[in-house]
Amino acid sequence: MKKINILLIITVTILSVNCSGFLDRESESILSDEQVFSDQNMITSVLANYYGRIDWGQSLERGGDYSILDEACISTAGPDNRQDFGNDLWRVYDYTLIRNVNQFLKGINSDAAADLDPAYRNQIEGEARFIRIWVYFNMCRCMGGMPIVGDEVFEYSGGMDITTLQFPRSTEAELYNYIINECTAIANLLPEEPTINAARANKWAALMLKARAAIYAASIAKYNYLTPDVKTAGGEVGIPANLAAGYYETAYNTVNEIIAGGKYRLYTENPDKGANFYEAVCQKGNYEVIWARDYYYPGGTNNFTNYAIASSVRGDIDANGVTPTLNIVEAFEYKDNRDGTLRTRTADDADYVYYDNPQDVFANKDARLYGTVVYPGSDFNGVPMTYQAGQKYYENGEWKERSSNLGSTDSDGDLITADNGPDMSSSQFVNNSGFNIRKFVSYNRDASTRGRLSDMWFVRMRYAEALMIAAEAALELGKPQTEVCGYINQIRDRAGILPLTSVTLNDIVQERRVEFVYENHRWWDLKRWRIAHQVWDGNSETYSATHYSLFPYRIKDPSHPQNGKWVFDKLRSTWTSTYPRRFEYRNYYNFINQDWINRNPKIVRNPYQ
Amino acid sequence: MKTLIKVYVLAILIAVTAASCGKDNYDKPESHFTGKVTYNGQALGVRGSNGSVYLQFWQDGYELKTSFNVYVTQDGTYSSMLSDGVYKLVTASGNGPWVSAQDTVIVTVNGDTQKDYEVTPYYTLSNINYSVSGNTLTASFDVASVTTDRAIEYVALMVNKTQFVDFGDGTHVNWVRNSEATPGRVELQLDISNDLANQKALYARVGLKIDGVGEGVYDTNVYKIK
Repeated sequence: MKKINILLIITVTILSVNCSGFLDRESESILSDEQVFSDQNMITSVLANYYGRIDWGQSLERGGDYSILDEACISTAGPDNRQDFGNDLWRVYDYTLIRNVNQFLKGINSDAAADLDPAYRNQIEGEARFIRIWVYFNMCRCMGGMPIVGDEVFEYSGGMDITTLQFPRSTEAELYNYIINECTAIANLLPEEPTINAARANKWAALMLKARAAIYAASIAKYNYLTPDVKTAGGEVGIPANLAAGYYETAYNTVNEIIAGGKYRLYTENPDKGANFYEAVCQKGNYEVIWARDYYYPGGTNNFTNYAIASSVRGDIDANGVTPTLNIVEAFEYKDNRDGTLRTRTADDADYVYYDNPQDVFANKDARLYGTVVYPGSDFNGVPMTYQAGQKYYENGEWKERSSNLGSTDSDGDLITADNGPDMSSSQFVNNSGFNIRKFVSYNRDASTRGRLSDMWFVRMRYAEALMIAAEAALELGKPQTEVCGYINQIRDRAGILPLTSVTLNDIVQERRVEFVYENHRWWDLKRWRIAHQVWDGNSETYSATHYSLFPYRIKDPSHPQNGKWVFDKLRSTWTSTYPRRFEYRNYYNFINQDWINRNPKIVRNPYQ
Repeated sequence: MKTLIKVYVLAILIAVTAASCGKDNYDKPESHFTGKVTYNGQALGVRGSNGSVYLQFWQDGYELKTSFNVYVTQDGTYSSMLSDGVYKLVTASGNGPWVSAQDTVIVTVNGDTQKDYEVTPYYTLSNINYSVSGNTLTASFDVASVTTDRAIEYVALMVNKTQFVDFGDGTHVNWVRNSEATPGRVELQLDISNDLANQKALYARVGLKIDGVGEGVYDTNVYKIK
């Protein structure tokens, strides 16, 4: 009886509490649409969340990815055994974000947002749609045409016909058209003025994306004949050749709008052209950069400086995560010679070329080399950088080497092997290639410590790209060579190298390669020109497919007339990058995940899948 | 009391173990499936290393689908251990040195089963002869064009220190290529003095790389030099 009484009391208590709305309370941790879209600070926070979710491909947060191509190799800790490119390498499939943006667009057009200033509403609508179209663009260059789902926010409720939520893939041309048209509309919504540290998209970012999409589509249409099997029957992959001219026209007109807009230009503040190029890319808020991923301290830093810094200037134990290959260093031209091959041997290959200083072999190089790479004998923020693999001496008719631990000296006090190496060990944080990355590495020593990390930004779009697209589109449209040269020579002049009097597509390929090192262009460029399978052909005899290193030696042999001079060995980097890179036809487009097809049987597979 | 608990625990353990044996596991695949990729009934030689050439197996009747690959080896054969059932056998588009038709072949596996997969190659190699005289390896063979829509990128004579000999990096120690070859009789010569001196074993094979296609067609046999 007593038990029953207790039960009765408990039941009555629960019921009465329930009656007072205990179970119906508003959540205190979830904000309603009403609360979010009536407050500008809230809206900005939501946009910031989206801006933070769109780093794909090579970026400062995944520095190791730079070693996948031919611009850098893994130096720290052991060989990199990659040879093939993954079927899902850098693949983007983010309909979650697209749906989130659609929710946002619905929110800012709802009653809750009725009091927003119209100009402000245009701006945030433009930014949200820009982020959405950036997602589509990234998916498109990975996989070709993908489902275009429009503005609707799809909801599933039990019992509904699931097939109404399943969209087929668009063709590649349709998706590029959608991107181009969206960018046109977005450009009219966004403000013209540059934003703080270029972190938010403005009109010119939308136009740059439009131009980039157009030039990608144009070159795929024109050059897809080089890879005749890289297409699908329904056009999800591959663009008809007759559309090329129209896309080139769009790209040409769009970049000329940017150039005429006058808000951005090539950065030329520093009379030292090498330092100027570093500042053009790495100095925040400069007038060349149109859109960037910004980082800040404290709280929003990236670890790239910590990962890639040179040993002798590091602030922590980490260094040399990825280091430049000799290949990219030799890609930079000499001022007096378009062939950038380092002259380390005499013309008949009979003897070394002897240099008084290690930097002499790089004398007269394209100034962008300094701005991109720390090379032997250059400096890092004023600190001289020494790279010395060992000493050489002449014995019994041949050169022999003496090397030792990093930073060691011989009994005369002369350096044997430098702190910066290079050497062939698989130890952690040891330089294996003879160079370090300068671009995107911060000069602030604290930025290389684990506790702080770096606030260096990552440049997504800058004015130089507009000039390069203008040159490429003008070339493909058959405009006068003087006009084509006019665009490309602005870039070459800033780099301090000879102007061109005629331009071919190979010149465009070359110029983009050295201008945009580490800026996440190379992979997409070689794919759209359909030359990636030739550049990275998987053959160890092919220079462009194989990573090379440069080992500097100082001669220590008092009996030899060249005593004290510097010589250089070019070596295939098999100890750090074992195999040549092999790009197969299947790598032109990522594979479609079977899981997506299981959920949406209307999605067709890509070639080679 | 304690003994009783022990007995209960033991009984439950036995029950759980016995039940899981019966319910959770499929039988292991026990049927040996074999076959070869053929053209007019003749096997086609392919690259046998690196998982390059493969056929996909699909099976209907399940909600979610995932294919599994069966790899084709150098002499054009493939084999796999399968559970009995009905499978669909198909090539991946663009994979293999043949016209990408992706014909589906229905395979009913019931015990050991043999089923070939017929394709249309771009080129065939036949009447292949190898000979070694001194330090020179010579190979001659007939190249026949089956379709006309793909050019020859090159023909090659390769040697390797293992029985895997193909165009891949690391699967030939020496090779000679001729990118001017046309259909008809082709002869290739390779100086193998270094290889004879340095390798414990040496195998040779010829192949033809097709322009615009990732793979090549090869001799189905390897020639053992030493």
